[in-house]
Amino acid sequence: MGSIEIENLHFTYPSRNTPTLRGVTAKVNPQAFILLTGPTGCGKSTLLRTLNGLIPHASGGKLSGSIRINDTNVAEQPIAVTCQQVGLLFQNPEEQLFCIIVEDEIAFGLENLGLPSHEIDRRIDSALTQVGLTGFRNRQIASLSSGQKQRVALACVCAMQPQILLLDEPTSYLDPQATHDILEIIRDLNRELGITVIAAGHQVNEIAPLCSRVWLMNDGKLVSDLPINQAFADLKRYSQLGVQVPELAQVAAQRGYSERPLTLDHAVQLFANPTQDSEQSQFRRTETPDGLISSDTSAREDELTDLTSVLTQANGVNPDNILVKVQNLSFRYPQTDVDVLKDISFQIKRGEVVAIMGANGSGKTTLLLHLIALLRPSVGQILIKGGDTRRCKSRHLAGQVGIVFQNPDLLLQAATVSEEVAFGPKNFRLSRQEVEERLEKILPMFDLEALKAEAPYALSRGQRQRTAVAANFSLYPDLLLLDEPTTGQDYYHLQQLMQMLDNTMKAQDKTVIFCTHDVHLTLEYASRVLLLHRGELIFDGTPDTAFADPKRIKQASLVPPLTMQLQGFQNDTSPASHENRPPRNR
Amino acid sequence: MIHLRPHTKIVLLAIVSCLVILLDSPIALFVCFLVSLCFQASIPPSWRQMRLLILFIGLGTWGLIYSQGIFYNQFPRTVIFTLIHRDAPVIGELTGGIHLYREGLFYGAVQSLRFNTMLTISCFIIWTTQPRDLLLALVKLRVPYSLAFMVTTGLRYIPLIGSEAQTVIRSQRLRGFRYLRLNLFHTISGILNSLRPILTNNIRRATHLSEAVESRAFSPDPTHRTSLRGLKTRWQDVLLIVTLLVCLLSVIGLKSVYFLYANGLYYASWLRGAYTFVREVL
Repeated sequence: MGSIEIENLHFTYPSRNTPTLRGVTAKVNPQAFILLTGPTGCGKSTLLRTLNGLIPHASGGKLSGSIRINDTNVAEQPIAVTCQQVGLLFQNPEEQLFCIIVEDEIAFGLENLGLPSHEIDRRIDSALTQVGLTGFRNRQIASLSSGQKQRVALACVCAMQPQILLLDEPTSYLDPQATHDILEIIRDLNRELGITVIAAGHQVNEIAPLCSRVWLMNDGKLVSDLPINQAFADLKRYSQLGVQVPELAQVAAQRGYSERPLTLDHAVQLFANPTQDSEQSQFRRTETPDGLISSDTSAREDELTDLTSVLTQANGVNPDNILVKVQNLSFRYPQTDVDVLKDISFQIKRGEVVAIMGANGSGKTTLLLHLIALLRPSVGQILIKGGDTRRCKSRHLAGQVGIVFQNPDLLLQAATVSEEVAFGPKNFRLSRQEVEERLEKILPMFDLEALKAEAPYALSRGQRQRTAVAANFSLYPDLLLLDEPTTGQDYYHLQQLMQMLDNTMKAQDKTVIFCTHDVHLTLEYASRVLLLHRGELIFDGTPDTAFADPKRIKQASLVPPLTMQLQGFQNDTSPASHENRPPRNR
Repeated sequence: MIHLRPHTKIVLLAIVSCLVILLDSPIALFVCFLVSLCFQASIPPSWRQMRLLILFIGLGTWGLIYSQGIFYNQFPRTVIFTLIHRDAPVIGELTGGIHLYREGLFYGAVQSLRFNTMLTISCFIIWTTQPRDLLLALVKLRVPYSLAFMVTTGLRYIPLIGSEAQTVIRSQRLRGFRYLRLNLFHTISGILNSLRPILTNNIRRATHLSEAVESRAFSPDPTHRTSLRGLKTRWQDVLLIVTLLVCLLSVIGLKSVYFLYANGLYYASWLRGAYTFVREVL
């Protein structure tokens, strides 16, 4: 039970001319665990939606080919029947939970199936036990953390007792600890209950070790379908598509091993037997095997340098200037009795790239909102360029501080991309020529030139986020704040965005502060990291130092990069391996 | 403490809203208002909710009494105070003078009692009923499940939409946009542009939500659906509903009899007591 046969599947959304799925053919055996990967917009989510019948029953559009679940054609049975066999867990827990109380949320699907109340009652308890939320039955969903919410969403699916579980980037809103927890539950569902799992996502390091096969999609096609032990033999294929590969597999490839380890234990065993082809100097993660990203970003270097020189002249650089000074900041939301931020103090100089890290709910976004004067400290003060945020309104910081929220859609209000980018400069009444010049510079920098006449809200998530960043960047702010830039972004576009910001902002002595759970991103781009734990600042220093202490990392609900963990093992066993530096800030 | 079932509360709201429309006398309306306050006091609201209720009642009463006092246009009317004399330049000449009328104040007071009664009963229902119970109550009252589900789910997202609107406005300001400018076109276009991300985001959220709902075998068919929790009507609820219905039917009956009498259509001497009661009390 739990088998899937997909045959020559094509699908075109209504009002689109080009198909999103083009001839997908595949077979899934019962109890398989498949990693579905590919660049953003390649059709992963669409494929998952066809598997549980949402497409075409709830979406319309033109579907051809067939999907057979346990020998039954999905297109020929209603969704209500299919969803008892195939459960779908979505990306954002906030958008799939609509009840107030946990038990109501889980009961919803069972009530729809017309089950008697004693059976619903039994299944709720069973599902909560499966996801490790026993005792949460009568809790309000709003009071749960993001990880717990996603576990409730998983419990809703489990309660329907599906034979197949589809996961659409299930962990992209979660911190590493919550990611780990939810993937463990899914692994148990697969191994102990024999549920077939297909997981789409960019977090290959976490998902790949659990998988039996890997599907790689591009442009609506399934370009490879291989067992896990062969899937990463040719890493070039992934890097050409800008798709992230498991970092230990990449390290093995760079050292000349033919095997591709996915777990730390396997890597330690493998690397205990050195090969003649080891290339220690290629350890750095940014240097992909075929150098695709390096070459792509270097192609923009000239443009960036050009703009940078103009801006640097205009702004005048003083590296010793303190841009942000936070003194004894404490904050409590109205009508609550818990401090979200507790006695936080730090200073940020011009030109720094600072990562704020910590678990979901640790106070990262609240801290960012203080830096743009959207929230006022309950205690303490914040000085931006010497000005106290308690005495200014957010509009007084306009042009000096820019922010891109986790949901970039809330920033996009213009009819076209170019109008969106020009919105800020026009508000500052810059001359038409100046606005045009900025557009000419900025649109190509963010890869938006071809999309300048498109409506921002009709773009993909990655494109919308780039538009939001470009719209902020067009004012050349001294401080740019990014809230969770990794959410919904694939590896290539994330690298591209961060590389561009790193080059441009740093060179002109501008400051970037970003909130993230992504340790790799921090190691590559941040010069400094602030670790928050339940509103307290538990660390302020360089990323290398931050991630050297396992206790501290655990406290901040982070997981160190596998390469760093590997180095720890190797340091214990081989003094010669000190040359193996983990990826670090550049 | 009055722990009414949610469907009883909805029936209560419906009956009280009929009563405050039918009743004209300040005494009867004041009694309705006092009854609504009793319901509210039976489950004391938080201090914040109480402040909010007092603020709305105060503002509503003040606004209605003074607006009716000034703009009352029925006759007879008695001027008790002149705000702007008819001989005053421009405004006086244009308006013929602005006065405060005694009958207007009285009429405003009656209207404010209607408004405050509805406000208090509505707050009582909103503050003491979980949306999950509201859904069950609407279904129990034979509202189609799809409609009841849409209403209660929509209510859940109101605070979220509010916070998103705030975020949009703030991010616009951070990009140098000023909503209030002398250029009215600029202001209006700015406000319209701010609606775009809110609408887009909500359409996107609604799409995701509908997918999540469909993925869980959504079935609005009441013959097929079951429910984990049911709503059982207790004797206290039945008693209250019967009492309120008797009141409503009595008011309708008495008002009808009085209407026939007042329009010369029907008169009976044995109903004189009823005519007096309607004229004096209802």
